[in-house]
Amino acid sequence: MLGKINQKLSAALVFLLLLTLSVSNLYPFFYMFFNSVKHRTDYLVNPFRVAGLELTWDNYRTMISQFRILDLFRNSFVISFFTILLLLGLGILASYAFAKLRFRGKEVIYLLIISTMFIPVQATIIPLYVFFSRLGLVNTSWSVIFIYVGLFIPEVILLMTSGFRGIPDELIEAAKLDGAGYFEVIRYVIIPMGRPAIILCVIFYFIVTWNDLFTPMILLQSMDKRTVMVALAALLSRYSGDPTFQFAGLVLASIPAILVYAFFQRYIVKGISLGATK
Amino acid sequence: MTTQRITARRRFKLSEGILSILPVLVLLAFMRFYPMLAAIYRSFTNWDGLYRSDWIGLANYVQIFVNSPFFKLLRNSLVLLTTVPLQVMIGLLVAVLLYEEVRGWRFFRTIIYLPQIISAVTIGYLFRVAFSLDGPVNLSLRRIGLDLLAGEWLGNTGTALFVLVFCLTWFSIGWQAIVILGGMAKISPEVFEAARMDGASYWQRTFYVVIPMISRTLEYAVIMSMVWTLTSVFAFIYSITAGGPGYETTTIDFMIYRKFYQAGAPYGSASAFAVILLAIILIFTVVEMRVANKASEWE
Repeated sequence: MLGKINQKLSAALVFLLLLTLSVSNLYPFFYMFFNSVKHRTDYLVNPFRVAGLELTWDNYRTMISQFRILDLFRNSFVISFFTILLLLGLGILASYAFAKLRFRGKEVIYLLIISTMFIPVQATIIPLYVFFSRLGLVNTSWSVIFIYVGLFIPEVILLMTSGFRGIPDELIEAAKLDGAGYFEVIRYVIIPMGRPAIILCVIFYFIVTWNDLFTPMILLQSMDKRTVMVALAALLSRYSGDPTFQFAGLVLASIPAILVYAFFQRYIVKGISLGATK
Repeated sequence: MTTQRITARRRFKLSEGILSILPVLVLLAFMRFYPMLAAIYRSFTNWDGLYRSDWIGLANYVQIFVNSPFFKLLRNSLVLLTTVPLQVMIGLLVAVLLYEEVRGWRFFRTIIYLPQIISAVTIGYLFRVAFSLDGPVNLSLRRIGLDLLAGEWLGNTGTALFVLVFCLTWFSIGWQAIVILGGMAKISPEVFEAARMDGASYWQRTFYVVIPMISRTLEYAVIMSMVWTLTSVFAFIYSITAGGPGYETTTIDFMIYRKFYQAGAPYGSASAFAVILLAIILIFTVVEMRVANKASEWE
């Protein structure tokens, strides 16, 4: 009897705890959204008030027409797209080799590549900045894309190699007996069979590159090349700015990553719990 | 004849493997190894990024240790590291709850990971607004009569660091929970059921069943979040305190950024900070490798 009451009580406590955490995770974003559709004066009077106010989409209109946030979206998309494309191209070839081919020094090279994960980007950014400025590539998407690929390729290889190891050798051998060459094996066996790891990389690195600030902030200083996060960070650092307007920008900039998360959540959760990405 | 063909084939295989990873190696040589070596070399010079680059020995390092806020930066990095045990403990708590599949656990799992999807720029700004002078936190405190606690959170060293630790912990709970949940998926359900049948309470199950069985996952979680805290919190600091007031919330990695924009382009000195940061990470990594053996076992 007492045990049952105890059990019910602890179940209720557990539920309450998770509920509290959920509210603390959701409320800030809720706060950001409902204040972004308020008039500035209403916000200044009482930022908590939700009901009974006149709503306005003016902040969003200004974000699009004056701040030209959609142009910034395009800059961010270009960088994310080519980063992912290169990560996949290089990552699939290398991971196939690490997972399925035999060659001398494989283990050492693998560890060497993985260990570069621990070199922080801040430690290398100044030589890279000078390097790209000598090549005339500062203020171009390419400088950011190449730095990103260098930064993220070890994790991609870690993830894909472990995914590709699960592909049965017999399939590859059978394909080879049928006359498949190197690229055909990759095209018809590795890519279809290793799809979960590949999809995970696409999703995960879209979110990471979309949200990143440091690298594009250093490399992209001209106004028309900046990514959406760089432009917003500059806008936010003006203390005198209008919070409701700034919230509107942040809401818009959050949408692509949230959409990706909403559609591909199970891949992300699976990938994170594989313990390969952060 | 046959042997010859086999050797030829093996040689082809060897080059196939090397050729597959060659592009990655070339890229890493330019994007990671070269700039790292360049930073180490330039840290012994008075480099300004252009033509000035005279060898000045250990002068940059002496300057850093004698005449810079270095120990303040180190203190800040260490204070921020206190987020790691906090994250892991709360993450573990949440993971155990999710593992037991309480009602609505899928929903909780979705929500708990949500902050990881949002840019640090956004999260940082929300925290800055929340803890600003007339922000929601102070407003709430005043409303419930705790005027004493309401203050300039981001203007004082202690409270500003507290806000940063709070933000990083809040941001990372979801990651920790999902990683730990992944580790727990490897525990056989029978073990768990048996403990429950024997009447082990929630805390007993957590401490005597879960923790010992996921020690490797916990190691991984601790190490990754330590390295992450030392290297990847730039955007949070930038958008919450911008490293201020003064150098009160500047960490070593944030200092490199500040040096980059400082008048006179002290890139040599910035490189010395980069080397010190690398050394600190290296120490952590070596200790970690000792503990966790090899990266290849993490898959």
